[in-house]
Amino acid sequence: MVDLARDREEVVCLSGDLTRQCEVDLFEDAIPERFIDVGMAEAHMISMAGGLARRGHIPFVHSFGVFATRRCFDQIVNSVAYPNLPVRIVGFMPGVSSPGGPSHQAIEDVAIMRAIPNMTVIDVADAVEIRQVVPQIVDLPGPVYLRLKRGEIPVIFDEGHTMSLTNAQVLTTGKDVALIANGMMLASALAAAEVLDGAGVSVAVVNAPVVKPFDTRTIVDVAEGSSAVVTAENHTIIGGLGSAVAETLAEAGLARPLRRVGLRDTFAEGSKTAPYLFRKYGLSTQDVVAAAWSALGRTDAAPPTAELQLDPGEYAPV
Amino acid sequence: MRDARAVSSVELRRFADEIRLRAVRMVAPHGFGYLGQALSSAELFATLYLTEYRPGVDQLVVSPGHYIVAAFAAAAGTGQLDEELLLTYGHDGSALEAIGTERSPAVDLTAGSLGQGLSGGVGFAVSNRLKKNRDGRVFVVLSDGELEEGQVWEAAMFAGHHRLDRLVVLLDANDSQVDGPVSSITTLEPVAAKWAAFGWDAFDVDGHDVDALSEALAAALDTPEPSIVIARTSTRRGLTVLPPDADGHFIKLPAELADAAVAALEVRLA
Repeated sequence: MVDLARDREEVVCLSGDLTRQCEVDLFEDAIPERFIDVGMAEAHMISMAGGLARRGHIPFVHSFGVFATRRCFDQIVNSVAYPNLPVRIVGFMPGVSSPGGPSHQAIEDVAIMRAIPNMTVIDVADAVEIRQVVPQIVDLPGPVYLRLKRGEIPVIFDEGHTMSLTNAQVLTTGKDVALIANGMMLASALAAAEVLDGAGVSVAVVNAPVVKPFDTRTIVDVAEGSSAVVTAENHTIIGGLGSAVAETLAEAGLARPLRRVGLRDTFAEGSKTAPYLFRKYGLSTQDVVAAAWSALGRTDAAPPTAELQLDPGEYAPV
Repeated sequence: MRDARAVSSVELRRFADEIRLRAVRMVAPHGFGYLGQALSSAELFATLYLTEYRPGVDQLVVSPGHYIVAAFAAAAGTGQLDEELLLTYGHDGSALEAIGTERSPAVDLTAGSLGQGLSGGVGFAVSNRLKKNRDGRVFVVLSDGELEEGQVWEAAMFAGHHRLDRLVVLLDANDSQVDGPVSSITTLEPVAAKWAAFGWDAFDVDGHDVDALSEALAAALDTPEPSIVIARTSTRRGLTVLPPDADGHFIKLPAELADAAVAALEVRLA
């Protein structure tokens, strides 16, 4: 973003008292004249960003996903989305990636942002996509909600990968199960596909970072070529990626068994570590494997997922 | 460095009554509407439009969208808005919706969801600073009931901290909100002291006294802090034909009452 902002005078960076936590302290150091710490005042921050956007600026607004969407929903609707202004809302700590308890866990942000007209909603999967998404969204018309993880970020794609705002990407081909995932669950989906492959089940893994506007064509194409469909998202199964896929299949008249991996209409809890929460609330690789197994109508035990050996600091799906 | 236009008190008072007359004519076909807002803020809009506000150079925010009737009436009075268009106010398909929207002409920002306008105005003022534009001023019309929204105070705190000296709030303190007098629902007083405590310069005046308003507005633009002109007003001002218990937020205006109101204002303007 600093690289982008050096070339683009319109870019301004707003933070709601979470500057280091949202990793925009680098911006503050590099371009202090275009960095504004608004303090703990999310409602004001969003409406002010709307005012700045009306005068030609491109505000990137940073907070945790919970505060950036829940505390200022009406402001996002009336001050930003209805006037269709280019405000980029970056919500950190998606889903249960935060062990901070329900107050800090954005589990319905995608659902409520997706319901707002004009809003683009993106949940990226890895470090390569994060680097590409900022320059890609800067000139997108209208508002954007971008979900970002902080801290260790999975590296899934090689440097040759191109993030797409228009197409969901089919990463592996298979005819048994279409496994559609985004954000932190893409790494789990890929791990689950390997386990399933080892059990003789071929899996088409689809990366769908853009939940709105949704690439329904790719979803329908892949689902048509599969016996069953599984979605995986670090979010409630109500209103997010799983819902978008369900709506797409239903409108296409495509009957496929569907399983949605995600939080099952429940708040999570505070914990010491996030992996504990991913396991407890059904967001582990094993849960994805089990969902695929169930979608295929298999009644025998699903194949087990091996424990991963990791280097310190390396991100691992649970 | 004021460049206010020289205008007499008589002209200001007349312009205010013209705002009232246009508002009555806009609301009358519907039999009810946001007339009280225009009656209470008529002198405030008249003073703003005829003295300091420079469309295209300054930004005007009408935070409560229910006041857009007054902005339309004032804009028609200065030729910014087609007089004929006013008669479509509030009708199906009209760009002049009864509560301000993104389609509303004549203002830079308005919102039907209250409490957001000052933040938008702060955004305009920060933008001017980023662009090193020292000329532009930002005027934000607020209502007193709106001060119950916490976001107003978030914005006030930010503007005070950043000393946005080219930002002026015009507060229509008409003691009216949907459920009744503001003072019967929430104690806002001391309003001036509250804004002062947030780092603003506050000017507390009779909002129907055009001389007091002109002086306060001029003074507000001449301080190193953001400023607020608190205009103490009444939603029945200027129309004695209205019943004493008229609901200030949403006045009933049956045809015979509308005719009487038009007649009274026409006599005064004759």
